[in-house]
Parts: sequence; C-alpha cells; structure tokens
Amino acid sequence: MRIVFTIVVLCSLLTSLLTSIGCQPNKEKAPTARAAGSAFVLAEEPGEAIPVGTAKESTKDGDDVVVLGLVGGSTKPFVEGLAAFTIVDPKVPYCADEEGCPTPWDYCCQIDAVRQNIATVKLVDSSGKPVMQGARELLPVKELSTVVVQGIAKRDEQGNLTIAAHHVFVRPGK
Amino acid sequence: MQARRCAMAVCAHDGTNQGPIPKMLLPFEYAFRNLSRRPVRTALTLFALSVVILLVFIVVAFIRGLEQSLGDSGDPEVVLVYSVNSEDNLENSSIAARTPALLTASLDGALERFGIKHVSPELVLGTRVSSANDPVGLGLLRGVTLNAPLVRRAIRLEEGNWPGPGEVMAGKLVAAKLGCDESSLAVGNPIDFEGRTWRISGRFAAGGTAYEAELWCRLEDFQSATKRQDLSLIAMLLKPQCSAAEVELFCIERTDLELRAIRETEYYASLEQHYQPVRMLAWLVVWLVSAAGVFTGLNMMYGAVAGRVREIATLQTIGYRRRAILLSLVQEGVLLAAASSLVAGTIALILFNGLAVRFTMGAFALRIDSISILTGCGVGLLLGVLGSLPPALKALRTEVASALKAI
Repeated sequence: MRIVFTIVVLCSLLTSLLTSIGCQPNKEKAPTARAAGSAFVLAEEPGEAIPVGTAKESTKDGDDVVVLGLVGGSTKPFVEGLAAFTIVDPKVPYCADEEGCPTPWDYCCQIDAVRQNIATVKLVDSSGKPVMQGARELLPVKELSTVVVQGIAKRDEQGNLTIAAHHVFVRPGK
Repeated sequence: MQARRCAMAVCAHDGTNQGPIPKMLLPFEYAFRNLSRRPVRTALTLFALSVVILLVFIVVAFIRGLEQSLGDSGDPEVVLVYSVNSEDNLENSSIAARTPALLTASLDGALERFGIKHVSPELVLGTRVSSANDPVGLGLLRGVTLNAPLVRRAIRLEEGNWPGPGEVMAGKLVAAKLGCDESSLAVGNPIDFEGRTWRISGRFAAGGTAYEAELWCRLEDFQSATKRQDLSLIAMLLKPQCSAAEVELFCIERTDLELRAIRETEYYASLEQHYQPVRMLAWLVVWLVSAAGVFTGLNMMYGAVAGRVREIATLQTIGYRRRAILLSLVQEGVLLAAASSLVAGTIALILFNGLAVRFTMGAFALRIDSISILTGCGVGLLLGVLGSLPPALKALRTEVASALKAI
C-alpha cells in the first residue's frame, strides 16, 4: 500500500506543479532597453507641458503642443501592433495600491472625469503616418507611466484630442 | 515448449547445472488464460474499468467540446466593435445605430466586394423563448442583416430559407440550449419571444461554433420587437492587408463614441480564459475518476493475486524470475484495461460524440476527437499498469517456502 500512496502523492505533486506553472499570471512587461534607445524618446523633459484637461480646453487643430498625462483611461490603454495609447490628466485620481485594484489605470471609479481629461497619443513617422509597431516596443512606458508628449494636436467636432507625437519623454518612477 | 522451459528451470535449480538461470518470460497466453479462469471476476472488473474510462472520455469530450466551440468561433480576419462599457459581454453592449456608417466612412479597412462593405451590424440578446409544445427556455437571439453571412463565413443554411419578416432561423444546437425537443424547431413551426410569435424559416450550422446555439432574425424586426434602436456590436471583415490595430486606433481616438475594437479570435480567447476554472475543474474530475479507476484495478488485482500465492511461488520454484512473473501480472492488468478502453471508447463514440450540452453562453457538442481518444485510452492503459503493480510486487515479496504452504 505504501507504493500506492507514493504513486498518488507523486501524481498529486506533479498535477499541482503543472497547475501552478499554468496559472502563473503574466509578469508585467517591463520597458525594454531597446525602447529606451528609440528615436521617439526624449532624454530631457520639454518645458511648459500642459496637462491633458487643459490641452482639451485650449488647443486648436494643428497646434504644436506639449502635453502631460498618465498612460491609462481603459483596461487596455495601448493599441496592439500600432504605436498609440491614451493618456489621462494627472489631476484625475486612480485607485490607490492598497485598494487592491488589478487595473488602476482604467480609472474605473472616475469614468465621468476621464471623459473630459483623456487624449490619444499616436507616434507618427516623418510622413505623418502612425508607426506600425507597439508603443511599448518604442518607448519605455507601461500603464500609469507619466509621459510628456510633444507633437501636433488634432481636434474634431466632438472635442476629441489626438496628439500626433514625434517625441515622448517618460518621467522616471511609476 | 512449456515442458522444455520447466525442465530447463529445474535443471538450473537442482545444482547439477551451474550455468546462469535462463531469462525466461511467461508465455503471453498465460496472462490471457488466467483472465478467462475467473470469468465473473474478470467481467465485473472489465465493467468497472469501462465505466471509469467512459467517465474519463466524457469529461475530456466536454473539455474538448468547450474549447473547440470557443476556439473555432473566432475568425482572425473579423474585428468586433462594441461598447467599451460592456465589460466584454456583448449582451450588455449598446452602441448607436449610426456607428456602422461612421465606421465605414472613417476607415478603409473593411473588405468590399461588388460595392458591398463586409460589415455586419448586430443586436444580441438573451431572452425567454417558448415553442408550442415546450416550456419556456432562455435563448440567445441575434438580429442580423443580409451582410451577416458575408462576415460570419462559417454559417451554412442547412434547411429552409433565410429569415424574412416575422421569421427566425435556428442553429443546430438551439434545441439543447432551450431544453426543448428537436421537432419543436422544425421549419414552419411557430416560436414565441419578446411578445411575438415568429415562424421558423430555416436551420443553420456554423462549423461547431457558438453561433449554433443561437436564433437569428432580421435586425429591424428584432429592434422593433425589443423596442430598441441601438446595436450590440459591429462585426467587420478586414481587407487582407488591413490591421485590426487601425480599427482599434479609430475607437480610442473617438472617445466620445465609447467604442472598443478587438479581433474576434481574441474575444473568444478571452471567453475561453473566463471558462478556465471550469476547464481546471473538469481536468480535476479526470484525475479523481482516474484515481478511482486505479483503486478499482488495485482491488481486482489484489483479489486475483491473493488467491494465487502458491501458483506464483511455484512459478518461482520452477525457475521463472520475479521480473517475468511481475511482467505477466502487469500484462493481465493491461490486457483487461485495454479491453475496457476499447469498450468505453466504442460506447463514447457511438452514444456521446456530438451530444449537445447546454452551457451558460449557449450550447456545444461533446467532442470525442483524437485528443479525447488518446487521453481516454492512455488513462485506461495507465490504470492497468498502476492497478496491477502494487499487488504483484506484494505477492512476489512473500517467501517462496511459506508461499508454497499457503492455503
């Protein structure tokens, strides 16, 4: 009977091991070294950056802008396969770490505030076309990174703001 | 042959011949005949093992059916656009009716043939459905336009016609989803939902995808019946060179529309992820059932070996090595388990393959596919080995002299 128990225990251990390997959550993608060296990354922070909320009120279509914001606004702020993401005004609070929210960058408790304080950033090449590569491969950014975006504002009649960005500065820290 | 082997063995033990003990194996027929010596015990064990292996087959078929239903439902060239506030549940999604026009005007990504953009506006709703003879069940309804089959390329009309005004067509698994009789959904029969009586115009298949558990009707009829003007989603078939990221970019740029775009394959992969605990639970059941099977095998083999202590000791005395006897006993277990696997596999293929199962998101069919057969038969053979090893080892550890005196 000892052999039976040994076999059962071994099988259970093997199952637990395989299960735990299979269930491991994806590790948060760390910004890559290659991204830090991208041509879109600014080494120094450009001056006089305005927060997203202010930019939405004051900028006009075609203006050169420097906008400050935090990457977020939805559960998936990055567009896969294209260098674009959304940023939110730093004045909009997000869930604190101790609240245990798995996706604080979606601002789930501040949906109304986010509507007025969100902008889309798309990295464009010299011809003005969006770069067909994920933003996380080009910039050392992740969700809730603070970024200063330099580019041209694109406004529409509905009040949406898109920044065709040439350069991005990523503040160190979170 | 047997006599010659025995003679050689005796010769090896009586001390006259000092050569090594020949490496003899018990003949294959020995294990086979031992099984037929106790027909009732063998038949009962065969039955018990078959039940256990059949359960394994059914659980694996359930997992495979669920995986295939969700895995095949997505088309990699189709992008779904729905409300960002719906939390990945299309039934909760509500987008403006003008969105398809806005999307096609703003984006050049949709495939176009003969002047028709392959964009399908749809309204999806779970609602109470009743037929003439059956009680009310919860059905999944989809209001579609004639563009739907251009985008949903797995759809095949098997019987009847595309729904006209006041008509509805039923997927082949709708009866399982509603819990009603298949005959209730025959073409021409009436069916009630949203306070109206509809006529079934046709039956469709969708290559084993989740759509097979749905009822489809004309979008405008469904909007009128539900008193809704909005849509749940837009399904868009992309041009070959177009990327889903462009649609996604449009959605995040137009924050006022509150849209979200996702490849259909990714959407169903996320649903599959949602059902991960169910799959894990099902695999746990496979393990538990298999463990029960091991104990069944153990029980049978302990019983079989306990009554054969003298026989095993005799075999050792006449020269058969312990390894050879052990192999013969394992052979018996494996033979029985293999026969049980065949019986269980045949029953599973005949009775359970394709059987419709009602599930939260619709219904799907049990799949006895290559993976199910491999797992079921693998577990069966493993039961044979694991079930026979411990009793065989125990029997061989007994001293030959005392075993020969055993009653």
